[in-house]
Amino acid sequence: MSSAPSLAAAIDPRTKMPQERAELHQIDESTRVLALIFLGTSAVWLLVGTIFALIASWKLHNPEFLSTQEWLTFGRVRTAHLNTVIYGWATNAGIGVSFWLMARLSRTLLRHAGILYVSGAAWNLAVIVGTFGILRGDGQPVEWLEFPRYVTPLLFVSYALIGVWGIITFRFRRGEHTYVSQWYLLAALFWFPWLYSIAQIMLVFAPTVGVIQALTNWWFAHNVLGLWFTPIGIAASYYFIPKVLGKPIHSYHLSVVGFWALAFFYNWAGVHHLIGGPIPVWVQSAGIVASLMMVIPVIVTAINHHLTVIGSFQQVWNSPTLRFIVFGAMNYTLASLLGSAMALRSVNSVTHFTHFTVGHAHHGMYSFFTMVMFGSIYYMLPRLLRKEWPSAFLINVHFWGTAAGITLYVVALSIGGWIQGMQMNDVKNYPDFLQIMVATKPWLFARTIAGLMIAVGHIAFVVSFVWILIKKRTVEETSPTLFNTPPTLSLKTS
Amino acid sequence: MSAPSTPSHPAGKASTHQLEQAAASDASITAIHQTLLREKPEPTEGFSPIPIFLLFVFSALIFVGGVYIAHYAGDFEPMAFDPSRGKQVASAEPAKPVDPMVLGGRLFNQNCAACHQVTGQGVPGSFPPLAGSEWVMGSEERLVRILLHGLSGPIEVEGKTYNGAMPAFGPKSGYRFNEQKIAAVLTYVRNSWGNTAPAVTPEKVKEIMAAVGDRPGPWTAAELDPFK
Repeated sequence: MSSAPSLAAAIDPRTKMPQERAELHQIDESTRVLALIFLGTSAVWLLVGTIFALIASWKLHNPEFLSTQEWLTFGRVRTAHLNTVIYGWATNAGIGVSFWLMARLSRTLLRHAGILYVSGAAWNLAVIVGTFGILRGDGQPVEWLEFPRYVTPLLFVSYALIGVWGIITFRFRRGEHTYVSQWYLLAALFWFPWLYSIAQIMLVFAPTVGVIQALTNWWFAHNVLGLWFTPIGIAASYYFIPKVLGKPIHSYHLSVVGFWALAFFYNWAGVHHLIGGPIPVWVQSAGIVASLMMVIPVIVTAINHHLTVIGSFQQVWNSPTLRFIVFGAMNYTLASLLGSAMALRSVNSVTHFTHFTVGHAHHGMYSFFTMVMFGSIYYMLPRLLRKEWPSAFLINVHFWGTAAGITLYVVALSIGGWIQGMQMNDVKNYPDFLQIMVATKPWLFARTIAGLMIAVGHIAFVVSFVWILIKKRTVEETSPTLFNTPPTLSLKTS
Repeated sequence: MSAPSTPSHPAGKASTHQLEQAAASDASITAIHQTLLREKPEPTEGFSPIPIFLLFVFSALIFVGGVYIAHYAGDFEPMAFDPSRGKQVASAEPAKPVDPMVLGGRLFNQNCAACHQVTGQGVPGSFPPLAGSEWVMGSEERLVRILLHGLSGPIEVEGKTYNGAMPAFGPKSGYRFNEQKIAAVLTYVRNSWGNTAPAVTPEKVKEIMAAVGDRPGPWTAAELDPFK
């Protein structure tokens, strides 16, 4: 008999679940150092990726900018941006959030922390070396797999270790019920090593021939979004929305349909990047139908998230965590439905090879996933550090900078990209390719403005992050940092 | 089972120990108190049934998906690439004839307009115009030869002399235009910007290709004089 439940009972016997809360506290303590390592490195990569993004975006409307620096030519900077934000920021943050959630939901202390220390160090080392490799020109010409081949085995091994850790933790879970977030996390931990190893073998170490290469490439690139980032984002939304609101998720049945539909259909959808290409037409059509079928898990998840939120908007608006996460969940619905529409041949013939696709990629990766990660970090750090966020103002700057910035970004590139696509399909009136390209310049400039707004948000976030790390713990803080403090009850005698 | 981990596990022991220590001090009890009280219970799931209209939506989607596959899968032929027809239909129907003006216009904009400009006016002093040019509207013998193997050195067009180099576009050049493409692009330049001259046929191009055979370099204007 350990003393945990008795202590918790001693603290407040009237609370409904004192034992559970004392356990959560112990679990948070056990994950503290590792979670801080993953989330801290992710914040650093976020800044690095933002700098690359701004340089690349500026070059699109002022190509002469930094063009004499071989290391900073567009092809390398843009690639460095993609890889630092995907493997540096998003994956580090995703792993940090996943294993914290996994430990909490499995109700078990962090076991075998050594595995995670090794894999965290190896992963970040590989991303550093890989980014340098890309900048010096060693990158591989495969989209989403540009890291030079001398770092990819390291990435794979460190990732596989994390997968193994996740399975061990799940194996030692307690409690009868497996919560929906756990399904998504466990599945993501299986899916990513599978995707990454197949793509490495078929594209880099024993490359396949001809169109199979393109097919494998887009199978991989699209599934990284759909079977790695999306499940983590959904798992976090499924956890934090009911957790902060203190009410159950709308429907268990819908969660089941959503999970299996995602698992079944997503794997096929990547082919829609090759519509019109020299791929047998039935493969393309299967990809289009699978993209269309993705409407099912998206609608189901949307109903589950949004019906849970409905009626609690005041609370969502006041809580930093929920403001970010609900923004992310809403954009998941929107970006996914747009994505299904973009897979239809008639729409695809306009949007393909235009800035529309770039806007859509950021819609999914930023408006949805990154915002959900921000929200999760706003929830986790006060628990891990037992301190409150130092400044609601900074969180406000972060929210408005990123939310307004990414919305401007997506809207500008969608409109600009659509116009670009219509013009490219209209050879009669727009015979000159250069003329079409010049016409996209205002939209590209709007994208740089949006990028600057996002960068301001990121700086506010990193300042908050460092501040909460170094500030002193005070006993006076009794309530979380909210945007508006709810009115306290007071007795009035009249 | 009452502790978050098995008692034999070292991590479990350590934190149990921590908690006992914490219980000893008032300040840390307050701290833990705070942490615990702000925490709402772990999330749970409700059991609202799936709305019936959703089942209709799903059925409709699956139906549409099935119809789509049936129509656009090209009979699952590995060599079918066109979504609108399967292999059998493709072989039964003759290929649509190509409009040389459309094909030629596209080829011109992609390959020629950089020098001769979309308007066919060329660039004064550097690239000769095609609009109104006696070379374009003159003999096709001469024109086809220029396109096949290129032309370099001084050339007089519309009373002005140009001295440049036009690349070869023939099947053995880097551009690999076949007789159909050469005929199309020449027909296009002979009938655009106010030019009017008879179309060039692929058969004629083939005939000239056979007559010239292999040729190591580009023509000069003087060499082409006999074909005026």
